[in-house]
Amino acid sequence: MALADFAVSLVTFVAIYGLFALGLNLKFGFTGLIDFGHVAYFMVGGYVTAVLTMPAQVTGYDGLGGYALPAMLAVVPGGDVLGWLLGVAGGMVAAALVSLLVGVPTLRLREDYLAITALGIATILNEVVRNEQWLFNGPFGIRTVHQPASAAFPLGLGSFTLNLVVFGGLSVLVLAYAGYRVGRYVKDIDGTGAGLGLASVAILGGAIGALTRGGSLLVVGVALAVVGVVVLREAVRRSLEPERTLALVVALAVAAWYFVQPLLAASNPTVTLQTNVMFLFDPVAGPNGGLDYDRFFMLLSLGFLAGGYLWCQRTINSPYGRVLRAVRDDEDVPRALGKETFRYKIQALLFGSALAGAAGSLYTIHLGFISPDQFGAMITFFAFSSVIIGGTANNAGVVLGTAVFWAINSGTQFLNDYFPSEYAVKLAAARLIFIGALLIVILYYRPEGILGEQDYDINLPGDGPAPSRDETAAAAGGDADD
Amino acid sequence: MVDTGLLDALAQGLVTGSIIAAGAIGLSLVYSIAEVPNFAHGDMITVGAYFALVVNRPDEIALLPGLPGGAVSLVLAGLFALVAASAFGALYELAIFRRFRSKEADLITMVIVSLGLALVLRNLVLFVAGSRNISYETPVVRDVNWDLYLTGSGLTVQRTQRQAGDIALLAEWGYPLWLLLGIVAAAGAVGYGVYRWRTTDEDFRTVHLVSPRVLGVLSGLATLLALVYALRFDPQGTDALWSTRIGTSYKDIAIVVVVAVAMFLLNLVLKATRLGKGMRATADNMDLAEVRGVDVDRIQLVVWVIAGLLTALAGVLAGWSASNVNPNMGFTLLLPVFAAVILGGIRSPYGAAAGAILIGISMDVGVYLLPSGLATYRTAIAFVVLIGVLLVKPDGLWGDV
Repeated sequence: MALADFAVSLVTFVAIYGLFALGLNLKFGFTGLIDFGHVAYFMVGGYVTAVLTMPAQVTGYDGLGGYALPAMLAVVPGGDVLGWLLGVAGGMVAAALVSLLVGVPTLRLREDYLAITALGIATILNEVVRNEQWLFNGPFGIRTVHQPASAAFPLGLGSFTLNLVVFGGLSVLVLAYAGYRVGRYVKDIDGTGAGLGLASVAILGGAIGALTRGGSLLVVGVALAVVGVVVLREAVRRSLEPERTLALVVALAVAAWYFVQPLLAASNPTVTLQTNVMFLFDPVAGPNGGLDYDRFFMLLSLGFLAGGYLWCQRTINSPYGRVLRAVRDDEDVPRALGKETFRYKIQALLFGSALAGAAGSLYTIHLGFISPDQFGAMITFFAFSSVIIGGTANNAGVVLGTAVFWAINSGTQFLNDYFPSEYAVKLAAARLIFIGALLIVILYYRPEGILGEQDYDINLPGDGPAPSRDETAAAAGGDADD
Repeated sequence: MVDTGLLDALAQGLVTGSIIAAGAIGLSLVYSIAEVPNFAHGDMITVGAYFALVVNRPDEIALLPGLPGGAVSLVLAGLFALVAASAFGALYELAIFRRFRSKEADLITMVIVSLGLALVLRNLVLFVAGSRNISYETPVVRDVNWDLYLTGSGLTVQRTQRQAGDIALLAEWGYPLWLLLGIVAAAGAVGYGVYRWRTTDEDFRTVHLVSPRVLGVLSGLATLLALVYALRFDPQGTDALWSTRIGTSYKDIAIVVVVAVAMFLLNLVLKATRLGKGMRATADNMDLAEVRGVDVDRIQLVVWVIAGLLTALAGVLAGWSASNVNPNMGFTLLLPVFAAVILGGIRSPYGAAAGAILIGISMDVGVYLLPSGLATYRTAIAFVVLIGVLLVKPDGLWGDV
């Protein structure tokens, strides 16, 4: 498997969970509601969309529904996709309604009570779905998930060359743009930091190489890893702007992994490298090659993520968003100014849950199968980790945090190849130990996350520029300082 | 044929409640004194249960070498778990929570830190021991059934046991109706008398080691049991107007007794020692306690040690009661434990104990009362009770004890 396929799957995951985490950020980051039951709305969105778009008679399914919206709308052009979009909308509305039912009795509780109550309700909803077979087929789940417009794929433009040029060219453009952005970001980095950063990437690469060879090289690998970490630490310490140095190191490591690793490992390095560079073009999809469904679905998920991001940004950078943050910082102040804070909290809950519902809809299609096991409380905790890693109350940070989280969690799955398969469970556990420890360390050393709280462009009446981040952080009680 | 009924559900609920109480008291102490809403408490319970497993069944845990002395009995294993878990409690405090407290982290941060710790602990268990269900190596415990028959002339009690597939009658005795009424009346009188006797000298300076209400109920129950045991008469027939069966085992009784002893010891620490006074003062107002010369850091370390002890107790008892230890057991217990703590009022370990018994009983009685298809919703019942109480009394039932 080429790394491009893995990267496509990773980006799809990041887009779906990014949307999910954006919803959580709206609740937790901007409004201050600790909703430990966020996964419940993910589940509701997924199930409702699956049921709304499913054909009426499905063997092996005894639950509600089979409303076949896409088939019903098939007479109009594009009805397949339209019906699916209606299904997603239904999932979002259902998630919002369920959150309304949960929120009205619980949102008046203290923050820690709210957390445990929300966790309890989500666990109970999961139990209900698991036990009640008449509802959504209980533990057997749903296998017949509608894939919108799946008949149109693989999408091609006629000839192989044309496909190669158009899709491959697009891929190269995307990679070039990403490289350009990283380059711009790290341009001002000083020479020492960059040199040490490069050295640390090389040493750590050597360490991983030695570790995977095993045997007596294990000791060498561990020693090299220690040296690499020390060098990296030194690079960060010496640079004037540590974030940029770290960004450079990460970009280099990712580039080495993506472009260099296939040259060493693959049986046919040229083909693998070409697939990696032209990731949107799949030469074996259909007779002429083209865009396969996975890649299309990645683009669709990214579209949803972009929509959700813009929606959140608009909300946050409006007077409405200012009230939400005021509710978070000190609920008494907006109440004293005549705001009905309970209504704002409910609305934030509804919006956040609707986003989680949309993420759930995408998730069902991506996996093609859902069962109650996939919606455990752990998913909420993953989202919390993502939000905190990237930066609470920062929408861009949340997406970045999700990318970092899933890169760690599924990106290290290729390590499974180097160990016997009976260690897969242990490796998964080791990853989660690492993530839990990382969460604690980040909260200790950098509680504001990678990017910190974002700036807002609301012009307050009376003065010109919006207050800077430092001032708002200081006004919020100085959580951000360390 | 005798069926189990409400009384059996009550007895089951008492056992469930005891296990929940062992978890809830520790959580409540950590919550009120160390000021951490500890979402890792459930996974601390799991870790405690596995500590006992390490010495009780060393061969079941793949990553650890076998013990030189071989496996030990569950009692010794439980003691080992208590020691190891209390050391771990100190470790959590020193390595993590003290650092965050010194940075004046707020409540939300503490919640999420404890979440991270929960993730680490649960997966550590998964990593070391795998995800299989394992049960402790213990002697087999047989259920003892107490069949009660209420006839026109009195009450008949039969003690039966299932032996080799058949139900064997172990003993049979009874009470005439007048005696039964007399025993109940005497027990009630003793209980009420004790309560009145202890409340008369109550003023704001006296601290009762055991509160008069609890003492009243306990002495009443003790009188009832003593009289019932002493005044056994001939059976009054089994041609019953009403009959019921209570199933118990020595396991159940041991669990209730162990938790009761632990509660009493903790009560002793809290009420009769300087340390306990410091703990109560810190729970009330940390700054004020510090001004009055209480070493808050030391108190908090002690609290984490006690919480570690109690989590191991809860873990071992839960694992023994269910004959099953697995990495998810703590998380399943977390919700009822939290429900008990919040129900009892967050600031009071006594409230947590009472809340735990209430939650345990409502879970088992609720399962008994609901139609059989809904028996999987045990935890849900705890939560419905919790939410119902929070809507009426947002601070819990005994928030100001």
